Amino acid sequence: MTAEAAIHEHFEEHVHPGASVYVTVAAFLVVLTAMEITVFYVSALASVMIPLLIILSVAKFALVAMFYMHLRYDSYVLTSIFMFALAIAALLLIALLLLFAYLSHYLWFMVPLARILLPGH
Amino acid sequence: MRARFARRKFSGLAPLGLALTAVLAGCQKANPPMDTLAPKSDFANWIYGLFVEVTAWDLFILLIVVVAFVLAVFVFSRRDGEAEAASTVHTDMRLELAWTLGPAFILLMISIPTIRTIFREELPAPPANSLKVSVIAHQWWWEFRYPGTSIVTANELHIPEHRPIWVSLRTADVIHSFWVPALGGKRDVIPGQINHLWFIANTPGEYYGQCAEFCGDSHANMRFRVFVDTPEQFAAWEKNQEAGPVQPASGTAAAKGAAIFANSPCTACHTITGVSKGYIGPNLTHIATRTTIAGAIMKNDPKDLKAWIENPDALKPGANMPTLGLRGPELDNLVAYLESLK
Amino acid sequence: MAAQPKPIPAEYPSYLKGDPIGWLNTIDHKRVAVLYGVSALLFMVLGGIEALLIRIQLFEPNNKFLSAHAYNQVFTMHGTTMIFLVVMPLLLGAAANFIVPLQIGARDVAFPRINALSFWIFLSGAAFLHMGWFWHHGGLPDAGWFGYANLTERQYTPGMAIDFWDIGLLILGISTVLTGLNFFTTIVTMRAPGMTYMRMPMFVWSILITSILILLAFPPLTVGLIFLFMDRFFGTHYYQAVAGATPILWQHLFWLFGHPEVYIMALPAFGMISELLPTFSRKPLFGYPMMVYSVILIAFLSYGVWGHHMFATGMGPVADATFAITSMLIAIPTGIKIFSWIATVWGGSLRMTTAFYFALGFIIEFTIGGLSGIMHASVPIDLQQTDSYFVVAHFHYVLFGGVMFAILGSFYYWWPKVTGRMLNEKLGKLQFWLTVIGFNGTFFPMHFLGTWGMPRRIYTYGAGMGWTFWNQFETVSAFILGLAFLIMFINLLTSLFNGEIAPADPWDGRTLEWSMPSPPPAFNFVTIPEVHARDAFWARKYGSTGSRASQAPAVAGDPPNTEAAEHIHMPEPSFFPIVLAGGLLLCGLGMVVAWWRLIMAGGAIIFLSIIGMAFQYPTFGQKTHETEAASGGGGEDLRKVGVWAFIGSESVFFATLIATFMVYKSRNLGGPGANVLEIPLTSFSTFILLMSSLLMVLALAATQRGDRVWQRVWLCGTVIFGLIFLGDQAYEFTSLYGHGLGFTTDLFSQCFFTLVGFHGAHVAIGVIWLSVLLVASFMDRLPKSRALSVELAGLYWHFVDIVWVVIFTLVYLMQKVKGA
Repeated sequence: MTAEAAIHEHFEEHVHPGASVYVTVAAFLVVLTAMEITVFYVSALASVMIPLLIILSVAKFALVAMFYMHLRYDSYVLTSIFMFALAIAALLLIALLLLFAYLSHYLWFMVPLARILLPGH
Repeated sequence: MRARFARRKFSGLAPLGLALTAVLAGCQKANPPMDTLAPKSDFANWIYGLFVEVTAWDLFILLIVVVAFVLAVFVFSRRDGEAEAASTVHTDMRLELAWTLGPAFILLMISIPTIRTIFREELPAPPANSLKVSVIAHQWWWEFRYPGTSIVTANELHIPEHRPIWVSLRTADVIHSFWVPALGGKRDVIPGQINHLWFIANTPGEYYGQCAEFCGDSHANMRFRVFVDTPEQFAAWEKNQEAGPVQPASGTAAAKGAAIFANSPCTACHTITGVSKGYIGPNLTHIATRTTIAGAIMKNDPKDLKAWIENPDALKPGANMPTLGLRGPELDNLVAYLESLK
Repeated sequence: MAAQPKPIPAEYPSYLKGDPIGWLNTIDHKRVAVLYGVSALLFMVLGGIEALLIRIQLFEPNNKFLSAHAYNQVFTMHGTTMIFLVVMPLLLGAAANFIVPLQIGARDVAFPRINALSFWIFLSGAAFLHMGWFWHHGGLPDAGWFGYANLTERQYTPGMAIDFWDIGLLILGISTVLTGLNFFTTIVTMRAPGMTYMRMPMFVWSILITSILILLAFPPLTVGLIFLFMDRFFGTHYYQAVAGATPILWQHLFWLFGHPEVYIMALPAFGMISELLPTFSRKPLFGYPMMVYSVILIAFLSYGVWGHHMFATGMGPVADATFAITSMLIAIPTGIKIFSWIATVWGGSLRMTTAFYFALGFIIEFTIGGLSGIMHASVPIDLQQTDSYFVVAHFHYVLFGGVMFAILGSFYYWWPKVTGRMLNEKLGKLQFWLTVIGFNGTFFPMHFLGTWGMPRRIYTYGAGMGWTFWNQFETVSAFILGLAFLIMFINLLTSLFNGEIAPADPWDGRTLEWSMPSPPPAFNFVTIPEVHARDAFWARKYGSTGSRASQAPAVAGDPPNTEAAEHIHMPEPSFFPIVLAGGLLLCGLGMVVAWWRLIMAGGAIIFLSIIGMAFQYPTFGQKTHETEAASGGGGEDLRKVGVWAFIGSESVFFATLIATFMVYKSRNLGGPGANVLEIPLTSFSTFILLMSSLLMVLALAATQRGDRVWQRVWLCGTVIFGLIFLGDQAYEFTSLYGHGLGFTTDLFSQCFFTLVGFHGAHVAIGVIWLSVLLVASFMDRLPKSRALSVELAGLYWHFVDIVWVVIFTLVYLMQKVKGA
């Protein structure tokens, strides 16, 4: 059965990386963590702390997901599952923060819209 | 502002909507006291106009669906179930585009007035010359205060006509919802948060309100009344409320009742200015000026008041007011006193 | 009638035959579906009686039939029962469970034992909800199915009823999430060869999307219920307006679940209708691709509309306008579906069966419900209508006129396949007309009552309100509706004993379930079919042109093939699901009555059952399903897909916890605050956890090489590092406690301990999981061929690691940031 053979072949294609890749990724993770802690302690970086920390942690997140969780090597199906869930999770987080008014000034784009709709108000 | 609204209300498909609302209203001989279709404030009017408009669009869509349905089921199909289907068409780009864009257009038509009304009725600060009213919801009655005055009353809100009313909503316990259908939409009353509502009442009269958010055992018994007064009536009412309580003439039943009140546990929860300072229950300083008692579920007459004091829990399940065991002449005197507090 | 296909020879016994004990340990998806169906029907009787009690009470003003307290219990349980114990189990537990594997050409669902587990957990959760009845301080829950805080706090609702409700819903949530996980994995990985996504029957599509909704929508409810539990038992203040908290949080969490939940109930119904209409019109579904995209769009939008349940709460004009727009958008794909259904019928050759009657009734009734929904999306109108009977009318048109009509139609449609007997069409049509009269008579006047200002959830009303006549009309109609259901039950029972024997394909069906005998054998398909077209069975019968030849179908049912059947190995039945569900019940009961021994006993039963399940089969860690069914999933093992789906669900769980932490951190009043968190210590923890992930992948690499020594070393290392992390956390918590930061000290501390504590609990579960693998490794039961077992544990372990990466940044490193 060709379909079965194709599936089997596909299944075998998922060769996971060896120990050297894993150790390199670990080294990167340690370096990134060290950078994060530096950002926390160096007061000169205070103004850019939030974006820096977010970038660094996203990098760590991505490294673990791609290499240790093999998303880079496995089927796109698994990546899609995870990315979709992450998208919903992120939207939920942002929406709740907006609704509880911590980032509400970002939502004021609605006000000009209302002005257009409300001439003379 | 109102003129523009009125014009829009009668545009387009509005007659259809009006027809339905007319049928709706026609089913009932007298206007139900909490009818949302008899708006008596600008806020309620805006909503009513929007309601008529959306109802019209809804009926229009329903008509299309029903006509298509009837044609599909009864006209353009064979009903033998055996023969080859008359058509095996299972896709049509133009049709599919039409029923995607058509509804999108209708929704756009609905969303524009919707957003306009949202921004019109949800103001960040009180409008100019508004009367501020502070509402405090309790399980299961309403307290009304007028900031800047000493007026504290319960279950019956007096407001003047043709003046913006800025209502601040707070709660003493759980979530409630303040709703007077004739004067506009409802607004929840939420612990730890002050919500606002504003409207301009345009017709003097007595309007029914009721808590609209489930708030425990006696949710159904948390009603209230709003009296829209002429400015003169309102000024008179205000003056009377600000005055102290009526002092009963000595020797009358009311005077005996006053003594009973002053020495009863009633004082722990109820305020009568100069007599007691309780704040858990309604302020009774001018209870006799109110037409109802117990969250507007009973008339304010000696018979009902007596029944209420005798056993509050039987009339309003879960009520915080205890049964004090007052009976006979004692109770009659107390009731006489309360009914004298004009 | 269609040309009768020849009866299928009874070569293979039907799935219904066999030992009655087999119903307790069954893991056959069809038997589990029947169990679900029977229990849901019993709960339907209960929920229906509750509905009639409500209607009797409202028959006249100032009625004394029920006390206020009794009425509140009845309407709370009517809502909870109908949603969680009737509609969802009927749609998912019964219909999807039975039909999906048959429609996609699979022998069972992806995880048959978890499927059985779902059912038994469902049953214990359902029992749990009603248990308060037996306690003196109990009673049934009485705060509404929506259970708005802070009314649900112990201060306002003492007694055990809300505890039973809270934990009961948590238990039901576990069951539902497991179901979602199972169906998702089944549909992604187990479709028959050739069944591409765009060839799947519409019902399968709707269940796939519903499963995604379940996985991503239940976590907010779970978190909300956990907070409520903590408030009621541990004295935290998640929903009390003290210390800066707000009860509005509950509403957000509840409706974040609650609105997708509406579509969890509606989408399967849409799917059913999309099966029924083409079959009885003898036409393919109109606009299949658009129907698919609509379902996807509805599901996605449903996450962004929860605020329309909260327009009256004062979210502000910006949020109100935003939610109004998203809510209106959802009407577009819904409109596409309605018009496409009508176009499906248009020009067909209709067979007017009862099932088709209900499907047609659905179109009109659901449209009415959808149109009143548009009114609610318009915020100002909603301010008049919300919490009035208008809303009651609206959602009963959606959930009864829509979902229940679809379910009733499906009863008549699939009953022959499930039981092998036909239902009586005459009784069916009588039931249909009584349902239409009773349903519209009950719920249409509610539009009037709502417009006339009658609020929801009131146990009584005054005489002068002008509501009396229609209330009496509704009560009478409700009894007509009750009569319709009585006729249905009579029809079901008489069919079981006296019904006409059903042929394999009574409706000249289009999908694969009609290709097998009624009822099907335990293993479903003798040979897994190959699929070449969208309506797979129709194409097999009449050719892929879709044109129907005038003669009888060429193929009806699988040709008997006894030899092939002998080679089918179905997994063994298992008693672990029912035992585990019992343990969960004990555990929950122990929590409510605060009896630690009961919790421990329940916990021990759960733990041992899981271990038992893991080692039940000698094929532990190996692929148990034949590759012939595994065409989807990009060739990934179905267990891996399942674990990833679980990780997706967990992501939303942690996102909800993190969101709450961030919101409440900035509302925190007083208390030591975030500045007491120690960076050096937690940096070390971070390092340890990252390194444990390294050891974990090295263990996997060793297993894949077949290197048992290093496998043990690395696994052991991972476990030790995990334990060090937990030790660090224990030390951190004690030292924080020493600094005066207790669990309930302030808003910050309760959210911090909850978030970090739940992460710690995940690490602990990971450690246990890895320890089990370590034991397996020392028992020489982790050879190269079972590398997947290590990989799955690793995925979970790494996920816990990346959650920590996020927590470390947002909680620890951003501790000085106010409000975010």
